[in-house]
Amino acid sequence: MRLGMVIDLKRCMGCYGCQMSCKAEHGTPPGVFFSRLLKREEGRYPTVRQILLPVLCNHCSDAPCVEVCPTGASHYAEHGVVDIDPELCVGCRSCMMACPYSNRYFNVDQRNYFGDAGPTPYEEMRSARHTESTVMKCNFCKDRRAEGKDPACVANCAAKARFFGDLEDPTSIVSQLIKDRSGFVLHPESGANPNVYYLAP
Amino acid sequence: MNRYDQLITDLGSDYRPQREWGEGRGLLLVIGHFLVGVAGGTWLLSSIYGITAGLVVAYLLGGLGGITHLMFLGHPEVAFKMMRNVRTSWVSRGFVGLSLFLLGGGVYLALMLASLGGPWRAIELLAQIVAMLGALTVIGYMGFCYTASKAIPYWHSPLHPALYIAYAVRGGVAALLVISAATGTTANASLLQLWIAMSVLITLFFVFETQGAWTSGNIAARWSVRDVLSGRLAISFYGGTLAMGLIVPVLLLVSSAEHPPVIMALIGIASAAGDFFMKLTTVKAGVYLPLVLPSRR
Repeated sequence: MRLGMVIDLKRCMGCYGCQMSCKAEHGTPPGVFFSRLLKREEGRYPTVRQILLPVLCNHCSDAPCVEVCPTGASHYAEHGVVDIDPELCVGCRSCMMACPYSNRYFNVDQRNYFGDAGPTPYEEMRSARHTESTVMKCNFCKDRRAEGKDPACVANCAAKARFFGDLEDPTSIVSQLIKDRSGFVLHPESGANPNVYYLAP
Repeated sequence: MNRYDQLITDLGSDYRPQREWGEGRGLLLVIGHFLVGVAGGTWLLSSIYGITAGLVVAYLLGGLGGITHLMFLGHPEVAFKMMRNVRTSWVSRGFVGLSLFLLGGGVYLALMLASLGGPWRAIELLAQIVAMLGALTVIGYMGFCYTASKAIPYWHSPLHPALYIAYAVRGGVAALLVISAATGTTANASLLQLWIAMSVLITLFFVFETQGAWTSGNIAARWSVRDVLSGRLAISFYGGTLAMGLIVPVLLLVSSAEHPPVIMALIGIASAAGDFFMKLTTVKAGVYLPLVLPSRR
């Protein structure tokens, strides 16, 4: 089994639901977005278009971050998911320099949203799970998957633009979508063999 | 701008600069790379020329570089875990190399300075070999660390390791020039020739790498080149690398036929400062590969 995601850019309406649900699920510090939405405008008036590109860790099959990690903290967990063991991470940040999708963050300290007022009870509870001075990133919502649920960004996508499943199963929805609509990946030239696919807008 | 605001601004920019290596505590990594590079080069050349003071200085610089590396890490207390992935990680290989250098070099220097002889001679020889292996690894690993960084196209060049090896050798020459002046000994004339050769080599490598990034690199690599040559890092490049690291030493070199120790020392200091600025400029010029849709989908 190789878990992967398909994001239908034709359906994405740029509501930031994925970004917000991910932050709510993981309680990431300010400025850290395991899942984020990029909005760009292309072209010159009158031939312009807006590009909406939701991005997250691509859980690559040949992940450069795993290769460069000196401790093995970045590793392949079950079903091909790339995860970080905070007990092993020494905070050298070489993985951040290796990730072609720049979806890793260094948790430099326990920042909170209200500055001197200190962390809210929510932040205290959520940030307790994050180890300081280590690198953090998306793990396809490991805890939710353990309960049989989809990742938060998939479950909360209002436009149903995200699909999650087994890329090795030809009958799965993700495999079918990639096949039927010519799914593509970002930066294929990196040779990382990412497991997040996109469907053309 | 505080770190949070900076991060938000960076995430929204088309060409997000990497700030983890080279800014804030990340500056310690650049200093560490500079120190261990000079240490490796100095050890290598001191071994060739038989300069004991050079070996001692190289060892001290290596130790200082190691401490600086540790201070950069998020969790230095578990740094020993970096030995786990020597198979694929250049950071891991560098850690092992520096450990071997400090271990072997320490034993070798202690035994050599104590002049114990007899059965200790075998251990001294073994320690010397271990230290040399460590020094060579240290000289080589840094460039590969950057080349393995696929997110930063400017660094992802096959010439980067060669450039860093050349820096290390030139740093070694610079250190020996300063050591010669400090100890009142006449520097070996071939050191200056070696300095000239390494400077020519570094200039060529840099020109080829920059030209490659500009003509056949992707848009992020070109952005980095622009940052170095005419953007936010131009002052550091022209002032630190070019003026301090190349023009000043060359002017000192051609100022007279004789090169008294003080001139040799000044050449060494200016050259080393230039190398530091070059490394700093290159590291800070790194921008992440932009996330864009493949064209014409």
